[in-house]
Amino acid sequence: MKRLCAFLAIFTLALAAARLHGQPAPPEIVAIEVPGNNPIVDPHAPLWREAPATEVTMLPQTIVVPQKPDAAVRQLSVRAVHNARWLAFRLEWADPTQSDRIVLDNFGDQVAVELPVDPHGPAPSPMMGNPGGRVNIMQWRAAFQHDIDHGPPTVQSLYPNAWADVYPDQVLSVADARAYTGALGVENPISRAAASPVLDQMAEGWGTMTVKPDQYAVGRGSWKDGRWTVVIARPLVSDDLYAPRLAPGDRTVAAFAVWEGGNREVGSRKSWSPWVPLVIGRATVPDRPGKPKGSKP
Amino acid sequence: MAKVFNWQIGREMDYPFEGHRPQRQFAMIFDTNKCIACQTCTVACKTTWTPGRGQEYMYWNNVETKPYGYYPLGWDVRILEALGVQEMDGPVYRGKTLFDATPTGEPILGYLPEDMDYAHPNIGEDDCAGTMTQGAHLTLPHMQWMFYLPRICNHCTYPACLAACPRQSIYKRPEDGIVLLDQSRCRGYRECVRGCPYKKTYFNAVTRVSEKCIGCYPAIEQGRQTQCTIACIGKIRLQGFLGKPDHPNEDNPLDYLVFVRKLALPLYPQFGLEPNTYYIPPVHVPADFLRQMFGWGVEQAVELYRRVAEDKKLLGALTLFGSTPQIIHYFRVDGDSAIGYDATEKELVRVPLHEPLVIREAYDQAHDAYRTNIT
Ligand code: SF4
Ligand code: SF4
Repeated sequence: MKRLCAFLAIFTLALAAARLHGQPAPPEIVAIEVPGNNPIVDPHAPLWREAPATEVTMLPQTIVVPQKPDAAVRQLSVRAVHNARWLAFRLEWADPTQSDRIVLDNFGDQVAVELPVDPHGPAPSPMMGNPGGRVNIMQWRAAFQHDIDHGPPTVQSLYPNAWADVYPDQVLSVADARAYTGALGVENPISRAAASPVLDQMAEGWGTMTVKPDQYAVGRGSWKDGRWTVVIARPLVSDDLYAPRLAPGDRTVAAFAVWEGGNREVGSRKSWSPWVPLVIGRATVPDRPGKPKGSKP
Repeated sequence: MAKVFNWQIGREMDYPFEGHRPQRQFAMIFDTNKCIACQTCTVACKTTWTPGRGQEYMYWNNVETKPYGYYPLGWDVRILEALGVQEMDGPVYRGKTLFDATPTGEPILGYLPEDMDYAHPNIGEDDCAGTMTQGAHLTLPHMQWMFYLPRICNHCTYPACLAACPRQSIYKRPEDGIVLLDQSRCRGYRECVRGCPYKKTYFNAVTRVSEKCIGCYPAIEQGRQTQCTIACIGKIRLQGFLGKPDHPNEDNPLDYLVFVRKLALPLYPQFGLEPNTYYIPPVHVPADFLRQMFGWGVEQAVELYRRVAEDKKLLGALTLFGSTPQIIHYFRVDGDSAIGYDATEKELVRVPLHEPLVIREAYDQAHDAYRTNIT
């Protein structure tokens, strides 16, 4: 808690300093409305052309240990859209190394979107929330994308020359073999074969990240020519108690985190962004002052 | 950082959490003078706990040949080099622990091995320190030397793996001090692998989370010693519980060997983790090397070991090694026998201090055969 207060103080000071020096206010992200009812997951769908890109400055994580002062990703290009049912973010950044094979000394590329669970209350700490300030963190993992596209990892897929004669799970009952399946046997969400490459999680501060029992977030990512393009989407409104309920016209905030696996980034060794204002655009509203820019006329 | 007392270095030190000593501490003693590197312990552990997918390379128990054997490659020389030369005279350690030497932004001084560092578990096996010059012949102590170092997780009093885990997925059990890694909480950040100087947490690339030695806790809870201990061919191991460092119980063989007689010493006490596996140092290895590895007091331990035949109680404690699968909580020497007792002070085992010597005739009349010294 002490560390959190110290951080908030530093953060507030930094904002105040930015204002004093006449720097422009941070840009906002406007989720424009697009037609359709289905989950929006295709990073290359034409609908993204309409959405304005917001350049979000990413900071190396140097507040809590372990830190990553040389975090690689410093800029994230964010677009957002929604249809009647789904809110989606398209995140794009430069990453020269496609890291989706995880072994001891190889870390995976990842990106996350964070939203306050209460979109209308005071914003919690952008660094994974704070006690009483719960956040919803949706994290896309390149390794999960690889699992979905090519199948879950095996020792032979990770190490082509590896050899093993027989495994306990091939000769024992499921119950007896469970002792040898480690995290898989206790259905650790990191280990299981996932239906979505995005983990739907919540947190109330550092070290509290919890994968939700019910998963709503979906998405897809693709790496091409040294760039990741990833879509992370979730329902605007659902029966998920640990997610914001959003409607066109709402204003809230969003924050982001990126992990460059090739730079050995994992856990709190990452780049992060402070809150960026987020507007859920309206499709057809009569002209009025304050109409979110980017929404369709 | 909290201040905790580490009896092995004789002083208070920094640790990220408040110190809570367990009611009793899982501990193990290895007599390095008796280990023959048969790896029976390694196989016993491997077949019991780590034959699963992604565990192929894991040796929660391994036996390496010092000075050139390592698993993973260079584990101790790399962290010793990072820590730098330290003052190590004792009985109070004046140098830095790994917690004192923590770099900015890190939970502890550590390093993450490369995948390939685990590719050669038998590296350095049976290699001696130095080479023999032309015309040399063996003298005692040997001018060239090596010894076998069996290793498991030390179930440290101040575990670096626990200190390094940002999710607090690692915990130390209050009832027996066994350090466990929660397979459902772990997110595979590998901070524990980076933090443990003994490299006794392992990353499972199939499940994408870390795993470590569990101290055979299901056996321990039944009063049985660990698999590696009861399988040990050389009977070099004794596993049981240590009491409180400031209130040793002379009747507990572990307390007696570690706290009272100081025959068994910790592995790299200067790291500051208060590891709970203890080593009776090899008697034929240069003292400088041993002091760096097992701390000060190593010369006295070697001296004591050389005189063990004259010391009935000490001999009795050592005779109990490998004598029963059950955990010995108390022992005493009665005449020419050492007796081990369980927690309820029921007799578990009675072992003669001296094996009777039998000399057999070279010619076996019954089988009409000559005996050789391998039959
Ligand atoms: S030896 Fe390593 S893994 Fe075992 S308790 Fe100590 S720090 Fe943790
Ligand atoms: S079984 Fe015993 S003698 Fe054999 S290698 Fe292991 S510790 Fe040494």
